[in-house]
Order: sequence, then C-alpha cells, then structure tokens
Amino acid sequence: MVTASLRALPGASFGEASSGLEAIERLALAPVDLMILDLNMPDMHGLEVLDFLRRHRAYSRIPVIVLTTRGDEPRRAEALAAGAALYLTKPFAPQSLAAQAEALLKAHPERA
Amino acid sequence: MSDPHPDNGGDFFAQFLDDYFAECDEHLTLVRRHLLALEEQVGRPDVDPALLDELFRSFHTLKGISAMVDLSEAERLAHHMESYLRALRQKEARPGVEGVETLMAATTVLERVITARRTGEAPPAIDTTVARLRALHSESAATAEQPAPLQTADASDTDAEHVRSPARPSGAAGGSEHARVWRFEFVPTPALSERGVNVNSIRARLQELGEILQATPHVRGDGGIVFEFVVATGFEESTFAGWHEDNLTYTPVEEATADTTEAATTNGRAALSSDTDEDSHPTQATPAASMLSPSNVVRVDLARLDELMRLIGALVTSRARLDESLKHLKRTVAPAEWRALQETSLAMSRQLRDLREGVMRVRMVQVGEIFERMRFVVRDLTRESGKEIRLELLGQETEIDKFLVERMTDPLLHLVRNAVSHGLETVEERAALGKPPEGKITLRAATSGDNVLIEIADDGRGIDAERVAARARERGLISGDERLDEAQLLELICAPGFSTRDEADRASGRGVGMDVVCSTVEELGGTLRLATEKGRGTRFTVGLPLTLAIAEALIASVGGQRFAFPQTVVREVIEVEASSVRVLENNEIVSYRGEVLPLVRLARLFDLEETTGDSFHVFVIGGGANAVGLVVDRAVGQREVVVRGLNDPLVKVAGVAGATDLGDGRVVLILDVAALKHSALGGRLAAGIGTAI
Repeated sequence: MVTASLRALPGASFGEASSGLEAIERLALAPVDLMILDLNMPDMHGLEVLDFLRRHRAYSRIPVIVLTTRGDEPRRAEALAAGAALYLTKPFAPQSLAAQAEALLKAHPERA
Repeated sequence: MSDPHPDNGGDFFAQFLDDYFAECDEHLTLVRRHLLALEEQVGRPDVDPALLDELFRSFHTLKGISAMVDLSEAERLAHHMESYLRALRQKEARPGVEGVETLMAATTVLERVITARRTGEAPPAIDTTVARLRALHSESAATAEQPAPLQTADASDTDAEHVRSPARPSGAAGGSEHARVWRFEFVPTPALSERGVNVNSIRARLQELGEILQATPHVRGDGGIVFEFVVATGFEESTFAGWHEDNLTYTPVEEATADTTEAATTNGRAALSSDTDEDSHPTQATPAASMLSPSNVVRVDLARLDELMRLIGALVTSRARLDESLKHLKRTVAPAEWRALQETSLAMSRQLRDLREGVMRVRMVQVGEIFERMRFVVRDLTRESGKEIRLELLGQETEIDKFLVERMTDPLLHLVRNAVSHGLETVEERAALGKPPEGKITLRAATSGDNVLIEIADDGRGIDAERVAARARERGLISGDERLDEAQLLELICAPGFSTRDEADRASGRGVGMDVVCSTVEELGGTLRLATEKGRGTRFTVGLPLTLAIAEALIASVGGQRFAFPQTVVREVIEVEASSVRVLENNEIVSYRGEVLPLVRLARLFDLEETTGDSFHVFVIGGGANAVGLVVDRAVGQREVVVRGLNDPLVKVAGVAGATDLGDGRVVLILDVAALKHSALGGRLAAGIGTAI
C-alpha cells in the first residue's frame, strides 16, 4: 500500500521489509535514501529502529517518515524527538506521502 | 514482628509467610503495571528513570524477602531481574522489546514459584528463564563495563578455551536439558541476500536450533551491519559449525555455569541470605518493610466512576434542554444578550465534552492488560496441547472501557482456547501440509472511530463449513444443502449448545461456549465477524463501542415517531426509490451492491402509521447474506445520546435497548438493532411499541 502510493515518485526504487531487523538489513544491502517506518513491527519497535539509525553515523542522516495507525500526540512528539523527519497517521492521502517523500529527498540530496 | 519464640515458631513462620505472600502480591502487581508502561516506552531515547527505579526497587525487595523465607528460586529470579534493571538504570543496556518480554516472562515464572510455595507444590523449573535473563545481562556486560562484581564469570568469553571446556556442572536445579547459550553473528551481504540468506532466514534457522534469547543489530567500526543473536540450544556445535559460509559465526556466551556462579553469588550476599534462616528473619523484617514504596496510583471502585458518568449524562441532557430553551428565547431577547447566552452555552458544551472525555479516560484501560493474560494462557495451552504456538500481540496500547474489558475477558479466552485446540494443527499435521511447524495466533486491537476492534486470528485449519452444515442439518437448524457463507457459519456455531465436537475437550470446553461469546458481544452493543478459509486459518473480529454510557446515534423518524439507532451497528444509510422495491415470497427486497437486501419496515413492525412517499431511507445492518435493510421514513440526524437502560417491565421489550432524551423533553427509544433483526425475521416482535412511548 505504502509502496503503491510512492510509485508516483519518478526514478525511485523500493524495498519492503517485514520486520525491524529486516529493515536494518536493507541498509547493509543497498544504499537507502529514505526510510518509511511503521511503529508496530513484530520484532522491534519502530522507534528502536529509528534510534538505531540515529545512533550510527553512517545512517544518521537518512530521513525517516514514521507511519502509524495511532494519532496520539505523545508518540508523535517522541518520534520527532527521536529524529523522525515526519510523522504520518494512517489513513493518509497517498499523494501527500509521495509529495512529502519527494520534498525530503530533495532536502537531503547528498545521499547519506 | 519481634523475636520468634522457639515454641510457637511454626505459627510465627506461617504468619510471616502470609505477610510474605501479601507483599509479593503487591510488588508483582506493581511490576506488571510498570512493565506494561516500560513496554510503551521501548524505543524512546530516554526511558523514564522513575519507572526503572520502581522496577528495580520491586525486584530488590522481592529478592530480599524471598531470601528471608528461604525461597531460593524466587530469590535467584529476582536477583537476575534486579541485575538487568541495574544495567538499565546505569544505561549500560537499553530496554528493548526482548528485554521487556523476558522480564514479563520472568515475572510470570516468579509468580508461579511463589504460588507453588503457597500451595505446597513443587516449584517450576527456572533455569531457562534465568538463562534468558543472564543473556540480557551478559549482553549489557559485553557492551559496557562490568555492571557489578558478581558477574565476573560473564566476562570470561575472552578466554575462549576456558569457556568452551565441555565440563558442565551437574545437578542444575530444575534439571533443564543440555542447553548451551551461543552468541551468533550474522553479517548480511548483497551476494548472500541473492541466495536467499538474509536476516529473516537466519533467524528462522536459529529458531529451529533452539530458543533465540535475543536479537540485536549492531554497526561495526567500518559502518557495516552485523546482527547478533543469543541462542540457547541443545544441539551440538557440529550442527552449525558449517554455517560460517553464510557469514554466520558463533561464540559460546557462557558455559551454563549457572550453578557455580549462583553459588558464588549467593555466598557473596551472605548479608541477605544467611544459611541459618531462623535468626535472620527478625533482623531482615524491618528493612524489608521500609522498602515498600508508596505508589501514586489511586484505586477507585468502578461503581463510583459509573456514578460520575451518570451525573455527566444528566448534565448532557440538561444542556440539551438549555439549548432548546435558548432557541425559543431568540425571538424575545435582544440579539446582543442572546449571543452572549449562546456563547456561554457553546462553551459549556465544549467543557462538558472535555469533562466527559476526561472521565471516560479514567475508565479506560489498555487492552494490553487482557492480552497479557492471554499470553499466559497460551503458554499453558502450548504445554498441554504439545502444539507449537507463537502468540503475536498487536495494538496493546489500544484503550477500552474497563467494564467492557472485564466482560470480554472470558469470551476472548474462549476464542483463544478455540484457536489453540480447534484451529491450530499439530506440528506433524502442519509439516505434512507444508506449513511452518509453529502455529501463529494473532491478537490485534485497534481503534476505529468510536469502536474498538479486537481480532483473534490463527493460521490453522480453518472452520470446516461442510462439517458444520452437516451437523446443523442433523439438528434441524438448516435444510437443503446450500453453501454456507461466513455470516451463516458464525450464526450456526453461535447457536446455543452447538458444537461440532462431540466431546468438548479440556481447553475449549471450560467456561463459556461460542453462544456466550456471541451473546456477550451483542449485549455490549458490539459486532462479531468471522472470516475463515479451509487450511489457511480463522479470524474472529469483535467490534465494541468505546464506552457504553454515551453513544453516537443516528436519529430517524418512523411514522411520526423518532428513534435512535446505535451508529456502530448501522453499516450504511441508503436512499431507496419506492418503485425499485420488488416483492419476493411476501418479502420486500431491493438490490444493494449487487446483492439482494431484504427490507424490514419498522413502521409496520411497530404498528405505526406508514407514510407513503416516492423514496425512503434504509439503514443497512449486518453484512453479507445476513444484511437487512431497516426502512425508516427519513434519517433525521446524528447525535450524541445518553443511554438509559429500561428496567420497567412494561416498556422493556425485545428490540428496545434503552431510551434517551434529545433535549426537547421527549423520550426517544434506542433500538436494539440486533434483536430487532432477529425478531423481525422471525416475525415475533411485540406489537404496539409505538403506543408505549
């Protein structure tokens, strides 16, 4: 679903990960320009993954969009404090995700 | 608690034990609450230190008092939990999902150990749990400095030869198998990934090997990523020696030196657990008592909150009346004054809503509480059934009214038990079907508008529709051999006493049956849905209102009367042209989304005057082949209504859930749509509701 809404981005390719560890593995396999992170994953909390990224210099610059079904403010503040570039609550408009992703990619042109 | 006299030492000790159990209870309750809170904070850069302090203090106290009653298993467990907490407090480790899970599991075992002592049973084995705790802790010891002098044995993995020595200490308490703990490291590469060797497949492989105690990602100095898995396995080293080709290397974490370390640990803490327990009791009692930490949580009887909610309901009604009166005043009062009144009224309305939400929040508890209980149940069932089960919990933070949780506990338990005993196959059956050996049960909660959805899903064999149909025919519940859809299937298995098993087995035969599940959900104004696929699994979805006292309702007029319909059960409101209604075997139907929708004319049902127009509104309730359209004259609006139960036997009839006051002083009946549907289809509704108003 998320990937589908990003198809609008020209020249981008996508990878999907079904768990936190897999998401982190992706970093090792190919350069990643942007990560969209669900908070609820089977093995790691989304914020744990985010925290992992932020703690390691090699990945700390990757912009992260946090996606969740919950809309409560504390989590949002936490995610932003932990370094998420953006916090989206499902359901969201596909165009808005694509547009935000594009804007973030433009803002971070030097691939981290 | 003064000196025990030698002659009444037995009494003294019994009394002492009672105190011990009470204190344990208190601390275990605190621990559970704090662990749930900690789980919430996992992944935050900074975990609330007060929370860690509280947990540390509880474990510390539990350790101390357990030593006093000479319950060494409890003492050991609490000790390791305390050590891990110490590492967390000193930021030598970060609390992760696994850490919290392990603490939760350990808490359960600790509780069992204490309960066993209380009931005089043999204590459960604690070695696996201790190993898991140690793995957490040695992890923190490896990544940081030594947290405590007690753990010197853990740091010895530098001395590989020594650690690898095969000598195992004999006579480990509880006698767990020859599990050894290994630290595996996996470095992913694109080449491996192309071969299908990735973190997921590695994790699956290690799961086959034994129990993964921990999985942590790390970044190497060169920026590469390495995954570390701590695994307890009974397999020989030769099993995985060849795996280095897949970039999977291993080192032993620690020879299971539990006993020797433990002995050293215990001796090192002579002050806490002296060998001669008699004389240590009185001296220990005082410090233990002073360790009891005050909590800032107030326990409130639910009845008081009910009362509060009732008062707020009365306020909501009064304000609605005020609003009506204001409308009448508009013509007689000067515009400026009227506006001021109106503004005050609006402000009050907002404040009232905030107040209502505030009280509702107080009543709300996290679904996680009930889910956690399921975790314990599944653990027990796993042991009993010999099936391998993984329980996945999602959305534990979803909040729901305390009352609803209490009422739903047994039905949910039943659904989970059903999933284990009827849904999931045995390991062998699954292997034959090419499924992973481990069956999965998912409990998921989510908020959806004014509803909470709780889903219980398994990936087992699914419900055998043909068998259910055969049995239903046998019992005369259905005739013919039409295929059953899922809604019909659900209705059948919910029929009282209906079970496709001749002998209810132990797990699912206890307590309530499916009929109770259905009736409880209906009673709470909720919905129950079933999705099942043969060989793929079954999913029950329970939809519940957030709270019972105040509900969103659709107001519709029928034959000059107004009725309220709980919004949660109305799927859709459609407008129907009178000319598009067809009559089939005495039933009025319209086509709706490619299907046939039978209509129920409420005016006729209630013996009210039927209005004839070109078109009317229809409230669609139920889904699939069970959908029914309730015909009303017009949908008038949507309101927040205060639900009042009807207790007067004269007005208490099937089809009416309660009454409400929309503010103009007139009572509006809230319809019990589910009951209405049943009786309408059976044609047995008490006539003359209209005149009862």
